[in-house]
Amino acid sequence: MSGTVTRGSVIRIFLRSFVIQGSWNYHTMIGSGFAFAILPALVDIFGSEEEDLEGPLRRHLEHFNAHPYLSSLALGAAVRLEADAEDEEAIKRFKLAVRGPLGSLGDALVWASWLPAVVLVALVLYWLGSPVWLVVSVFLVLYNAGHIGLRIWGFRTGLREGRRVGRHLGKASLGRWTERLRNSATLLLGLLAGLIVSSPGGMGEAGAAWIALGGVGFVAGAVIGHPVWRPASVLIVVAVALLATWGVVQ
Amino acid sequence: MILDLLPLVLLGGVLALDATSVGQFMFSRPLVSGALAGWVVGEPALGLRVGVILEMYLLVAFPTGGSRFPEGSVAAVVAVSCAATLSTEAGALPIAIAVGLAWGHVAGWSVTGLRRLNSRFVPEPGDERVSARQVTMGHLWAVFMDFVRGSVVTFLGLVAGSAVVNGLGPAWPVRLSDSLGLVLVGAAVSAGVLLRSLGGFRRRKVLFAIGLAVGVLGPRFL
Repeated sequence: MSGTVTRGSVIRIFLRSFVIQGSWNYHTMIGSGFAFAILPALVDIFGSEEEDLEGPLRRHLEHFNAHPYLSSLALGAAVRLEADAEDEEAIKRFKLAVRGPLGSLGDALVWASWLPAVVLVALVLYWLGSPVWLVVSVFLVLYNAGHIGLRIWGFRTGLREGRRVGRHLGKASLGRWTERLRNSATLLLGLLAGLIVSSPGGMGEAGAAWIALGGVGFVAGAVIGHPVWRPASVLIVVAVALLATWGVVQ
Repeated sequence: MILDLLPLVLLGGVLALDATSVGQFMFSRPLVSGALAGWVVGEPALGLRVGVILEMYLLVAFPTGGSRFPEGSVAAVVAVSCAATLSTEAGALPIAIAVGLAWGHVAGWSVTGLRRLNSRFVPEPGDERVSARQVTMGHLWAVFMDFVRGSVVTFLGLVAGSAVVNGLGPAWPVRLSDSLGLVLVGAAVSAGVLLRSLGGFRRRKVLFAIGLAVGVLGPRFL
């Protein structure tokens, strides 16, 4: 990278990437967060005069969305492109090209695989009778080791590779990692279901009828999927409200 | 009363920030929020218990982009406060979980409302003038407003939850074991939905069956 962006600014940009979603809105999504995060690099490259910064700021304020952790990759690459004095259209095209893949890869890897897998580890620890501090700290340390590792990897790769980040995303085999995590999460989900049925304080304590009802609910969730999730929660809330009201009336 | 609730209100505000605006370190997951709220009210084990059950309900509520999802941190803080208020153990869990789930959805709507407002705080590329100061102040103001939103929605949830618990809780008519069964049935639906989102039973039945067998038989040999 050309020497126009200082090391201090690179660190500030990385730290600012943690609040990239701070002004999430329906017009530009994380566009304004992206402009906020890349600002130290723009000041280094274009100076702090308002008229010099206005153009670069406008191009980074435009609509952008990606998974928040992987947006560090786009951010690093955009810093590199700005430092290499790439033209405005090339930078816009680059951001347009990466936002879709960074969103879908991140959602599949982090939200739909890594997060459930680590939550399930913590839930299994809880049902095994672990103390509060252990359950909470194992969850936070394990989850954030992956989270912060992914942010650092993305930012460094973006800074180093610039517009070639696509090739490195392919080499990183994020899809294979997603598949492995889903296998582990499925094993943990089975383990959790078994522990809830057999552990004290679980379904076993409630009785066979509740175990059977839980099994029906589980199969309904597995067969129908997301559409049944909200109605099921509403049903439980309504059932609790009716029972509580019945108790008062009695 | 406001001073009594202040630690939980501030906790709700800080945890709401973690959900989207700042870091996403997952302190805002009900599992962690519940335990933290439990520590604040002096009952960490109860806090974790409530947090774990809410976590099982919200396992499939991922904070993806523009989607509206129940806010687990506010749900957990409100639910733990409700559970700690009740002296009857049987009613504490189901009423707290129901209040938490309902209020989590309300908090989710407030997130959508703030996201609409956020576009007024920050400059847009087409604006007549765009400055570094506008971008910085607009962004930080939006973050601050998210903290205010989280605190206010937590406060309202604590007040509403306390009224519900005091009104309905003491007369709860169901045994503890049945109350537990009721809340776990709802959690089982979420677990099924999660299995589907992980690839479905047909595709991963062997792994799920191994886990289930170890889970059922393991504790008997330990």
